[in-house]
Amino acid sequence: MLIVGSGPAGQKAAVQAKRSGARVALIEKTRELGGSCVHRGTIPSKTLRENALRVKNMRLNAALANFELAEDVELATLINRLNDVLLAHDTYMRRQLERNGVEMIHGRARFLSANQMEVTSVKAEKQILESKNIIIASGSYPRHPDNIPIDHEYLFDSDSILSMMYLPKSLTVLGGGVIASEYASIFQALGVKVTMIDKYPRPLGFLDDDLTETFINGFKHMGGTWMGETKIAKAYWNGFDAVVVETENGKQIHSEKLLCAAGRIAHVKELEIANAGLELNQYGLISVDENLRTAVPSIYAAGDVIGPPSLASASMEQGRRAACNAMGVASGVMHNIIPVGIYSIPELSSIGISETKARELHGDVLVGVAKFDEIARGQISGTQDGMLKIVSDPNGEKILGVMIVGEGATELIHIGQMALLANADIDIFVESIFNFPTLAEAYRAAALEIVHQRKKL
Amino acid sequence: MAAATPHQEEPQPVEALIVESIKTDHIDVPMLPEVAGRVVRLTQNPDSDAAKLASLIQSDQTLAGHVMRVANSALYSPNSSLVSLQQATARLGMKLIAEIALAASINSTLFNTPGYEAHIQYQIRYSLLSGLWAKEIARACRRNVEAAFITGLLHDIGRPVAIQTILAKSAQQGIELSTDTVLELETKYQRKIGVRVVEQWDMPNAVIDVVKHFDDFTAAGAAMNQTMIAVAGAQIASHFMCEQGSQGCLTRDQLVSHPVLAELNLYQDEILQVLEKEDLVNSAMESMTK
Repeated sequence: MLIVGSGPAGQKAAVQAKRSGARVALIEKTRELGGSCVHRGTIPSKTLRENALRVKNMRLNAALANFELAEDVELATLINRLNDVLLAHDTYMRRQLERNGVEMIHGRARFLSANQMEVTSVKAEKQILESKNIIIASGSYPRHPDNIPIDHEYLFDSDSILSMMYLPKSLTVLGGGVIASEYASIFQALGVKVTMIDKYPRPLGFLDDDLTETFINGFKHMGGTWMGETKIAKAYWNGFDAVVVETENGKQIHSEKLLCAAGRIAHVKELEIANAGLELNQYGLISVDENLRTAVPSIYAAGDVIGPPSLASASMEQGRRAACNAMGVASGVMHNIIPVGIYSIPELSSIGISETKARELHGDVLVGVAKFDEIARGQISGTQDGMLKIVSDPNGEKILGVMIVGEGATELIHIGQMALLANADIDIFVESIFNFPTLAEAYRAAALEIVHQRKKL
Repeated sequence: MAAATPHQEEPQPVEALIVESIKTDHIDVPMLPEVAGRVVRLTQNPDSDAAKLASLIQSDQTLAGHVMRVANSALYSPNSSLVSLQQATARLGMKLIAEIALAASINSTLFNTPGYEAHIQYQIRYSLLSGLWAKEIARACRRNVEAAFITGLLHDIGRPVAIQTILAKSAQQGIELSTDTVLELETKYQRKIGVRVVEQWDMPNAVIDVVKHFDDFTAAGAAMNQTMIAVAGAQIASHFMCEQGSQGCLTRDQLVSHPVLAELNLYQDEILQVLEKEDLVNSAMESMTK
């Protein structure tokens, strides 16, 4: 089995294929294992987020600590633990792959045919590999719109933003998706004046309005500016002191730096997939069926390269399943119930379907909401700008979805996930006794609201 | 009584003095011209503005003249002639002005090295070119472009200060050292001295780390990528500055296959793309050193 890419999908595919009896080679273009998730995206940004939260909390408690963040703070000092985290991660992954007997090849792969690949090392040495099955897990890279000349010095993309030397005074973030929302709120929490611009009326449009409203309010409360329904005509470094963003409605926004988070596209530019008989779909992604098989039966694809949900967690499972399917091994039930975690400040997370989607599918669904400021733990810890929402079927019995905004959301969501996977009734949250005081109590409060509404049906 | 003739070639006492000076932190580090230091600090201050920068540069006529020359060079002002410093600052941008100010300040007159001016001038040109290439490498790797120029420029700043120290100590001992010995001692001690220089000049931590680990980037920890970028910039600068065929001079093929570029995970076609910027880098170099 040949696997291209060592990110979450490729790594899990390699281990699974090996355990299923295949001889496996994992081809990775970069020296390090882990892909963008580990080295440029998820892990570095979460490391910065931890420090941003500390800074935010110290500012909130300035009376206790008399805290002030130095103005010329180097960004590296705010991601100070990153090297240790990356090293630990790399070591762990390498050991796991070695332990499982996966052969690791550092080089750039390209298809020669549906079953043959040429790998060129960084020193230009070539080798040709042949395999019955190939899994493409080459990930994605940031999309650069033509009107945004990314130079990685003033105008950054999500892969280069953390290479800035100093924390800028101001930052414009283009986009309203997960990456844009995360970085915008993290930098704002660090005291950077952030302006977030997107063509849609709200960021994170796949979530319900009440959740995104809470996010926007939290962002604005920290001092950020949200500009929805705004299209960008162009952005450029003025060669002097600012990046200028010109909007289609004639506004100009100046900032020290700019982050363009305009989505990510499949990283296949060097793979020459046409040689294998493959092509990208209209979204710039590789199309797969429910078994993660591409249009060429011997080639599978997993992770960001096939598109949404583009979550590391989902990619890992896709990688595992692709390997199982290629090897003819049962892979178990593929749950569509995947939690979405957005590591913005505040955090957001959801599982199942949103209220909007539920109303489209089921009509008059019942909804229970618990605000964190009504929960004892929220009051104690100052985590008051949050809420938990449970969506149930119109009878108020079955759980359809859970959405949470507020600190701890990405952990808290798993309670809802287990209930959904167990096909539990709403009552499970009422009948369960949660620790007191905890934010998990919000499940009980929201469920009680639904039970109350149910009685009136 | 006749005056004592200077001793010939007795480096041990001189070397002992150099070691002692490094150990006790008594290296005579030249003051970075105040205005250059202030320009660098000003551009790092989020509250600074172009007017403040222009007025600061105005306070140093030599620097102001240099900035105007660069601003009016073909690279930066192909179609117009700039007449005021304010205009020049507006055209070039604060960061570029800071780079020009720093590059202009690091010149052979900063160091007291009689007899070695040409050697130091060569080293400074090489460092400047290293900084410019490091920037292009950083861009190709999507790494820290901002820090690349300054780390490339200052990676060997210990060399002129080492020569200055060696000459001062040998004069103090009344020993005349051969050029070979001076250069040997320079190579031996420049790294430790360089670290002292950038520390005393209050350079950002990223710069200090790169200078410290330039000879062994694998030991640079979190600064490893930044150090590799500076090393790569220096290798490319060295390739373009040395005379092909001379000892230690990398051919283009050797450069493209250089291990540090492989460590940076730059594939050979990507390296060739970087090298295509030769004209752009040379123009910047020419402008800055006019």
